[in-house]
Amino acid sequence: MTPASLRGWRLVHRWTSLICSANLLILCVTGLILVFHHEIQHLMGEELDSSYTEGQARLPLQSLVDIAQKADPTLVPKLLSFDPEDKAVNYIYLGKPEERGFDLGRWVVLNGFTGANQMLKQPEETLVGFLLKLHVDLFTGFAGQMFVGVMGLLFVVSTVSGLVVYGPFMKKLAFGILRFGRGTRIGNIDLHNLFGVATLVWAFVVGLTGAILSFSPLITGYWQKTELAAMTARHPEPMTGPAVSIDRVAAAGLAAFPGKDLAFIAYPGNEYAGSRHFSVLVRGHTELTQRLLSVALVDAETGVVAEAAGTPWYMTVLMLSGPFHFGDYGGLPLQIIWALFTIVTGVVTVTGFVVWLKRPRTRAASDRNASGAKLGSKA
Amino acid sequence: MSGAGMGGVWRIPAALAGLSIVGLAAAILGDGFWDWLCWATLSVPLAVCAVKLWRQWPGRSASL
Repeated sequence: MTPASLRGWRLVHRWTSLICSANLLILCVTGLILVFHHEIQHLMGEELDSSYTEGQARLPLQSLVDIAQKADPTLVPKLLSFDPEDKAVNYIYLGKPEERGFDLGRWVVLNGFTGANQMLKQPEETLVGFLLKLHVDLFTGFAGQMFVGVMGLLFVVSTVSGLVVYGPFMKKLAFGILRFGRGTRIGNIDLHNLFGVATLVWAFVVGLTGAILSFSPLITGYWQKTELAAMTARHPEPMTGPAVSIDRVAAAGLAAFPGKDLAFIAYPGNEYAGSRHFSVLVRGHTELTQRLLSVALVDAETGVVAEAAGTPWYMTVLMLSGPFHFGDYGGLPLQIIWALFTIVTGVVTVTGFVVWLKRPRTRAASDRNASGAKLGSKA
Repeated sequence: MSGAGMGGVWRIPAALAGLSIVGLAAAILGDGFWDWLCWATLSVPLAVCAVKLWRQWPGRSASL
């Protein structure tokens, strides 16, 4: 590498890191706690009721929808969402009859076995909700979420550029050397280099998947406006009569993809469905295949599947970003490992910042310093 | 553990990166064995950080 390109990479590493460092610290602190959100929710009594007795039958979806609608009879069901980890937890979105989006209505959470209605608390009212909101959008909604996504991308560039400048720096140094006796700057550089390079792959993956998740509204929006819209446009027939039951729709969707589980059902008339077709989204049930979605359009009047398809690669990338960001796919030991990596990343962030604070004032000054010449003035 | 030359610089980081990739991928592929593989491999980079820090902590006899 030429000295000029190395200088360029150093600048890239310095500035991408500096810009994202404040946000990154917030992400590390909140993320460290959020890794254990299930355990915290359990301790705080904030978890959803998912109790049912072994062998108990699920309630028909139609009765769940009916229970949900009692929460507000002026609203109609728009979307059902099923928790992949917790069979008993069902989310039902109710909206104004004419609403196509998901902004004006409300979510109702029901126990799918008992029908028990559970109020979803506002994020500010629960510890996990508060931390999650701080982590995802800094309490500033969509704009904040995009901001955090951009910070995530800067962090990814920072890890890559950090790797590039690591090599030349370590040329004459043993791996893992920590020269704590040699002043604040050297000690912090060494700790930054060791912790940074040892956890680089983890940091890169968690940073990148975090950025992808931040941009999820854009990614799902793109899928909805392109492939899904094209699919529903091929079935433009309007509703002329009553709809079949939601249970028949679900069964038809599941029959189109043997061995899959329900993920979402969108009612006709909202932006994720046709004018008279339900969208039934299904997923597999292994750690891997539960992240692969497929969609069937089911005719609301006949209960017949009109068209079935997979989802494009970028939706799979988005869905797979979840586990690789949350670290929730390998039990409690992986959660603990995730937390430790998060702490190490926090140390890398802080030591990197200290190295910058303690920098020699200018290159010329440090050169003069090194050659023993007297310093005239500060930079 | 020689730091001389680029090969020496990258040997351990590359090994840790390889273990990290195996570990991250393992648990998504299955449970049981795959979980254990994930925990074992992902622990190595953390253990390396901890051991290096422990051995060179100020005040301890300096030995790599």
